[in-house]
Amino acid sequence: MSEPVLRTIGLSKRYGRRLALSDLTLDIPRGTVYGFLGPNGAGKTTAINLVLGLIAPTAGHVELFGLDTRTHLTEALRRTGSLLEGSQAYPDLSARDNLRIWAALSGGATRERIASVLETVDLAARAGDKVRSYSLGMRQRLALAAALLHDPEFLVLDEPTNGLDPAGIREVRELLRSLAADGRTVFVSSHLLSEVEQMCDEVAIIKEGRLIAHGAVADLTHRSGVLELRVTDTEKALAALQALDWVPSVTADGRDGLVVEAPPERAWELSRALAEQRVYISEMRPRESTLEDFFLEVTGEEEKSG
Amino acid sequence: MGSLLAAELLKVRKRWLPYGLVLFMIGGAAIVIWVGGYAEWHDQNDLQYRQTSLHTFAFPWSIPSLLDSGQFWGALFVGILVSSVVATEYNWGTVRQALIRGQSRTQYLAVKLAGLVLVSALSLLLALAAGLGFSLLATSFADQPITLDVPDGPSAPEVALMILRAGYAVIPYGMLAFCLAVVGRSTAIGAAGVMAYIIAESITLAIFNESGTFLHDLRDLFPGHYAQALMGANRIGTGEYNHIAFRELPVPSELPDPNVAALVLALYSLAFLAIAVYVFRRRDLRA
Repeated sequence: MSEPVLRTIGLSKRYGRRLALSDLTLDIPRGTVYGFLGPNGAGKTTAINLVLGLIAPTAGHVELFGLDTRTHLTEALRRTGSLLEGSQAYPDLSARDNLRIWAALSGGATRERIASVLETVDLAARAGDKVRSYSLGMRQRLALAAALLHDPEFLVLDEPTNGLDPAGIREVRELLRSLAADGRTVFVSSHLLSEVEQMCDEVAIIKEGRLIAHGAVADLTHRSGVLELRVTDTEKALAALQALDWVPSVTADGRDGLVVEAPPERAWELSRALAEQRVYISEMRPRESTLEDFFLEVTGEEEKSG
Repeated sequence: MGSLLAAELLKVRKRWLPYGLVLFMIGGAAIVIWVGGYAEWHDQNDLQYRQTSLHTFAFPWSIPSLLDSGQFWGALFVGILVSSVVATEYNWGTVRQALIRGQSRTQYLAVKLAGLVLVSALSLLLALAAGLGFSLLATSFADQPITLDVPDGPSAPEVALMILRAGYAVIPYGMLAFCLAVVGRSTAIGAAGVMAYIIAESITLAIFNESGTFLHDLRDLFPGHYAQALMGANRIGTGEYNHIAFRELPVPSELPDPNVAALVLALYSLAFLAIAVYVFRRRDLRA
C-alpha cells in the first residue's frame, strides 16, 4: 500500500481549558476523496488549520507526503491546494489579479493557467470585476480557483460548497471526483452529508474533538446490521431464524419478506440455516442506510434533535 | 523573491491610501514653501524674520526645511500606510491564504516589509521632489539665485546624504507601526499607536529639553532625540527656518553625534522588527 498523503499522529489542540481536538490519528490514502465530518464545533476547522500549519498543535504532529510539517511545512504546502472557510481575497482587486498574486506565492502560473482555472470555476466572464462586487458563491468559486491554481497533488477543502447553488454544488462534486480520478487526493469537510456520500470514498467523523468513526462510505452505510430477505416460505423461515440464538430479531415484512437483524458478514449462516429447513432465498440484501443516518447515530445528534 | 515583491506592489498600488497620503504630503510641502516661506518673506519687514522665511523656501536652504517637516509628517504617513497594509491582510483573511500556499512566515513579513520600504521611499521622494519644485519656483519669484553655492552650502553628494538621513530617521517610526500592526492585527492600533507616540514624544522631548533636572538626560531614551540629531546634521549654516513639525528646531550642539544617533535608531528599529517577527512566527492564525 502506498504511503498516505496526509497522516496526523496524535494531533491535539487545547485553547486554555478547552480541548478543541484530541489525539486525532488519521491516514488519508492517495487518490481518494476523503470526507471529514462532524457537528458544528466538533474540531474540523481546527484540524484543518493544524494540517496547514496555521495553528500550532498542543501535542502530536502532521506528515504531508511523508514530510514532517514541523520541519518541512513550506515544502509540503507547495504541493497542497487549500480552501479555507470564509473569504480570503483582496476585495479591491479583480479575480484575475487575486490569482496573479496567489500564483506568485505558489511559484508562478501562466496567464493561460489562470484563465483555465477561472474557466473551470465558471468565473471567466467576471474575471476582471473587483471581488468586492462578488456574491458569496462567486467568492467561493474564486477560492476554489486559488486552490487549484498550482495544480496541486493534494487538496484540503473546508466547506467548499458553502454559498453555492445546487448546480454549483453538483459542479464541485463532479470536479472533485474528476480530480481524484486523475490521481489527486482530496480532503474535504462539509455539512452536506448527501453530497459527501456521493463524492467521498472514505470519511472520518469527529465529535467534541475526538475521532468517533472512520472508514469507507460503503462500509459505514451498510453497517446497519439489518438484512432484508425474500423467501419461499415465510412461516418456516421465521421459525428457523428465531431458533438462531445470535439473531436478535426477525419480523415478517409483507407476503414473502423478512427483516432480520443480523451482521451482514454472517449472512451465509442464515442462508445455510434456511436451506437446512428447505426454505430458499430469492433475494437478500443489507438494508440501506444513508451516511446521514449513520452520522446522526454515531454523533447522537438524532437524540438531541428528538 | 522578485515575483513576490511584484505581487506585493500590485496589492499596494491598487489601493487609494498611498495616493491620498502622497497628496497630503505634497500639500504639506506646499504649505512649508508658500505659506511658511514665500508669503512670510513677502509680507514681512523685519529683517531677521525675512531671513528665516527666506531660509524656509529658497533653494538650497529649503532642503533642510522640507526634510525636517517631511521627517515628522513622513513618519506619520509611513505609520498609517504600514498599519493599513499589514492589518488589512488579517481582516481580509489573505494572510492565511498566503501562508497556506507555502510562503514561510518570515518570508511573508520580509516581502511585506520590502514592499512597504519601496512604496514609502518612492512616495516620500515624490513629495520631496514636489517640494523642491515649489522651492525652485518660489526662489525664482523672489529673484534669488538658484545655486548650491551658498555659505556652508552642501555639495550634490551631501544633498543625497541629507535625504538619506531624513529617510533613515523615519524608519524607527515605520517599524513601530509595523510592530504594533502585526501584534495588534489592527490598522487602528498601528496607526493610532504611532501617531499618539510621535505626538507624545514631541511634547515630552520639548519639556525635557527645557528641564535642567535629570529629565534632561532622559531624552536619551527616546528615538525622537536621535532623529533630531540626524535632522540637526542637515542644517545649512546656523540660520533658522520655519517648519510644520510639532517640535522645536534641532540645535545641533545639544544633540548626540549623528553616527551614534544612526546606530541607536537602528537598534530601535531592529528591536521593533524582532518583536513583530517573534510574535508572528508563534501566533495561531485562526479565521
